[in-house]
Amino acid sequence: MQFNPCMKHKLIRNSARHFAEAELAPIAAEIDQQRIFPRDVIAKMGELNYFGLQVPKEYGGAALDSISAAIVVEEISRVCAAVGLCVTVHNGVAVYPFLQFTNASQKEKYLPQLAAGNAIGAFSLTEANAGSDAGSVETTAVKNGTDYILNGTKIFVTNGGVCDVALIFALTSSPDNKLQSSVFIVESKFPGFLRGELEDLCGMRANPVSSLFFEDCPVPEENLLGKQGDGMKIGLTTLDNGRIGVAAQALGIAQGAMEAAVKYAKERQQFKKPIASQQTIQNYIADMATEIMAARLLLYRACELKDAGAAFGCEASMAKLYCSTVASKVTSLAVQIHGGYGYSKEYDVERYFRDARVTEIYEGTSEIQRMVIARAILSQQMM
Amino acid sequence: MLNIVVCIKQVPMVTELPWDEKTGTLRRDLAAGMMNPACKRAVEAALQIKEKQGASITVMTMGPPAAEEVLREALAMGADRGIFICDPILAGSDTYATSFILAAAIQKEASGCDLILCGAYTSDSETAQVGPQLAEELNIPAAAYAEHLDISGRILRVRRLVDNFRETLEMEFPALVTISMERYEPRYASFAGLNKAFMETDIPVLNAEALGITAANLEARGSRTKVRRVFIRKTQKENVMITGAAAIAAGEFLDRYQRAISAVIGKSIEAEKQA
Repeated sequence: MQFNPCMKHKLIRNSARHFAEAELAPIAAEIDQQRIFPRDVIAKMGELNYFGLQVPKEYGGAALDSISAAIVVEEISRVCAAVGLCVTVHNGVAVYPFLQFTNASQKEKYLPQLAAGNAIGAFSLTEANAGSDAGSVETTAVKNGTDYILNGTKIFVTNGGVCDVALIFALTSSPDNKLQSSVFIVESKFPGFLRGELEDLCGMRANPVSSLFFEDCPVPEENLLGKQGDGMKIGLTTLDNGRIGVAAQALGIAQGAMEAAVKYAKERQQFKKPIASQQTIQNYIADMATEIMAARLLLYRACELKDAGAAFGCEASMAKLYCSTVASKVTSLAVQIHGGYGYSKEYDVERYFRDARVTEIYEGTSEIQRMVIARAILSQQMM
Repeated sequence: MLNIVVCIKQVPMVTELPWDEKTGTLRRDLAAGMMNPACKRAVEAALQIKEKQGASITVMTMGPPAAEEVLREALAMGADRGIFICDPILAGSDTYATSFILAAAIQKEASGCDLILCGAYTSDSETAQVGPQLAEELNIPAAAYAEHLDISGRILRVRRLVDNFRETLEMEFPALVTISMERYEPRYASFAGLNKAFMETDIPVLNAEALGITAANLEARGSRTKVRRVFIRKTQKENVMITGAAAIAAGEFLDRYQRAISAVIGKSIEAEKQA
C-alpha cells in the first residue's frame, strides 16, 4: 500500500484538474442553473479518453489503473459534479460490465464507441417499485424468435436524456417458467425506446437524468449481457464498482467545497480580521481537511484491492458511505463558513451543497451500504 | 525527417513561493511542479511541425528527480523520446551553467539535430537567457520570442513580435528558436498518452559523468552568478487627508510632496520658494 501519490497519479491529477478548470469552471454554475448538458466539452473529453478510462488499449481506452480513474472523477467533480456524474456512471456502471461480462463480439461492437465517448452509456435498474430492493424489477423481456421484447419503465436514469447505449435490467422466464433477472444492451435507436422529460432535481442539474420507457422494444438476443438469469450477479458486481466511482465523485465535491471555504475564510473580514483567524472557523477547516484525507485513503484502498483482483465490495461500500457522508458534512460547513453568501447562487458552495446530498442516496443509499458492510463483517470469523 | 530537440523545464505551479532566505532560491519543494507554460508551447510547436511534415521529437530537461514528470507529460502529448539530466552536483546551476550542460547533452544524445526549441522564458525566473546562450554554446543561429515557425526545405522562417514590430527572420538549419506565449496553444495530453508515457517508455538519466562534465569543468564553466539578496517587494497605498484652512493645507501639501511635484514639473520647488 502506498500512502504518497506516485508521479503518474500526480500528473493524471494535474492533467484532469487543468482540463476541469479551463473547460468546466467557467460554465459549471450556468449549466447547473439552465440544466444544460455541455455537449461540446463532453466531445473534447471523449478525445482525451475520459469515457474509456479503464478500457483496454485495443478498444481505444486509456487502460488506467483504478486509483488513476478515481482521481479523474475526483478532479472533474471538484469543479462540476454533474459532469463528474456523467463520467463516473458511464465508466463505472455502463462500461465496466462490458469489460467483465460481455463476449468478444459485444466488446468489439460497443466498446470502441463507448470508450471514445461517441456513445454515452447508462445503467438502469431503478423502477418505481424497485430501488434498494433490486429484486422487485417489473420490466419484462419476453423471448420472441431471435428477439426479446422489452416492456416497462425505468426511472432516475443518470445520462438518460442523452444515452446511446443503456444496460437494462428486466425479468425473463427460465425454461421451467421461473422469473429471473437478466441484463440487456439496449441502443437508443431501437424502436420502442422512449425517453421521459428531464428530471428537475435539487443537484446534479447539468446531468440529463430522465425516465426511460420501453414499449414493445425489440432487443436482439445477441444483446443479452452474460447469460439469462445473470442479472443479480451482474448488478451487484457492477454496483460494487460504481460505488468506487460515486465515492470519488463525493470526495471531489468535498475537496472543491473545502478549497472554496478556505479561500473565503482568508478573504472575509469580520471584527477587522479575516474570519480564518477565528478558532471556530479553524476547527471547521481542520475537521474538513482531516475527514477528506481519511476518505481519500479509504477510497484508494478499495481501488487497490480491485486492481489486485481481490474482493473489494465491502471496502467499496465503506468508501462510498464515508466519502458521501464527508461530502455532505463538508459542503454544509462550507456554506456555514460563507454565511449568508453561502446560501446564494453567487458562490459555488451553494451548488456543491446541493450536489453532495444525492451521493448519500444513489448507487445504494447509506443505509444499504451499512447493510452490505455489516453483512461482510458478520459473515467473517470473529476476530 | 527533421530531428527536433525541445528543452523544457519544470517550474512551481504557484506564482508566489516563499524564498529560502539563506540560499536566495525559491522553496520549490513547497509546491507541485508543472511544465513551464512557454516550454509547453515549444513542445506544441514541435508537434505541429511533426504533424505537418514528419519529425522526430526529443524532449530534454535538467532538474531534480521530480522533474522527470515534465518529460513524461511531453511524451504523453506526442514527443518521441525523453532525456533526463539529473545529478546533485549540477543542482543550483545558473543560466550560464545550464546552457553549457544542455549543449553537452545535445552533442552527446542528439548530435546533428536540425532544430532546437525552447520556451522563451520561464514563469519562475524569467531570465529568457538559456535559449540564446545554448545557441552560442552550439554556435548555431537563434531567434527568440517566436510566435510562428514556417519551414520549407532547410530554410526556417520565424515570425516574432518585438517592441511592437512584427518581423520575419530567415535562417538555415541547424537553428535554435525560443517560443513565446502568443501562439501554439498547447494540446491536452490524453489519458492513454499519459498511461503509455509512464508504463511503456524508458527515459535515460544522464549524470554529469555521462556528459563528460567534471568538477574541473564546473569550476571553469559553472555558475557565474550568485544571488546576494532576495526580498519581496512591498507596495502600499495610503490615503492622506490634509485638513484645515485652504492656504495652510496648500502649504502643507507642497511641503509634503515637494520632491514628487518637482520631479513632475521639472524644477525645484525649494529653489522657487527661496527665490
